Amino acid sequence: MKQFDKIAEFGKKLMSLDAMESVIELVAEEAKELVDAKRCSIFIVDKEENILWTKLSDGIGRIVIGTDSGIVGDTYKTREPQLVNSPYEDKRFLPGIDKKSGFKTKNMITVPIFNSKQEVMGVIQLLNKNRFDFDEKDLELLTFFANYVSGALELALLKEK
Amino acid sequence: MESKRYTKLAEFAKELLSHHSIEKGLPLISEYLKEVIGADRCSIFIVDNVKNELWTTHADGVERIIVPRDKGIVGHTLDVKKPVIVNDAYSDEHFLQEIDKKTGYKTKNIVAVPIFDSHRNIIGVLELLNKEGGFDNEDVKFMIFFAHYVSGFLELITTLGEK
Repeated sequence: MKQFDKIAEFGKKLMSLDAMESVIELVAEEAKELVDAKRCSIFIVDKEENILWTKLSDGIGRIVIGTDSGIVGDTYKTREPQLVNSPYEDKRFLPGIDKKSGFKTKNMITVPIFNSKQEVMGVIQLLNKNRFDFDEKDLELLTFFANYVSGALELALLKEK
Repeated sequence: MESKRYTKLAEFAKELLSHHSIEKGLPLISEYLKEVIGADRCSIFIVDNVKNELWTTHADGVERIIVPRDKGIVGHTLDVKKPVIVNDAYSDEHFLQEIDKKTGYKTKNIVAVPIFDSHRNIIGVLELLNKEGGFDNEDVKFMIFFAHYVSGFLELITTLGEK
């Protein structure tokens, strides 16, 4: 029940936000806390431009990638979460972003965010779990979480149009 | 987007999330949907995969009514995994006339929309009955959005609530 209360409280806070940016920020903060990760980026799909963009990727500023690049791009393409505990050994990993930001990615987990039409509208990416590696439990929790926040995100996106 | 259907959502969601039981949540969801679409009745059917059945409640949200999952418009919605609009109930092959006979209620038109969980499995169906002039595509569009919007709450409450 404690976890229920926490998620419900977060949900209420989330629903009271209007602007896309504040929604993304709150979602990222909560996601980090949920799985005890150092960084979180929320990528939003732009289908016309074939890109995934982040408004705020903490510490790094705006990131734009092609929908076919990196582990985030693969999450979009396969519609499946990705758990990568040795990114530098993963062919899909984009080390260029680490180079630019000076942040060293140790491990990563990504989950797709589906809209009501069951299309992937975004990807939640978490980096560097503070202790241990990301595991199946984190994946399960984030899968639930992505769906939980997707309504608010979709609404905020609709309002922006 | 200027539609009231969407602008009142945030208030509704906050109210919904302050309830910790499915018995209190379901009537809230029904009321909201019925009102913004302008339908006469709303039922929410929840899938019970253990017992392999569907259940819904009376307007009070408490007493459960069991429904077969392979029959009627709701069963058909589970089959096709897509929204179903029936604007002339009595000429539809899937419609179960027995229920009207039992309740004395006359169903004219129906719309049913599946609710998916985070694994994209169907966990329930939203059903509306009897809108003056029938249901249109805008209604269905909103219901698809709304089913998705409340799915997080329903999943939360069925996995973590009630314990």
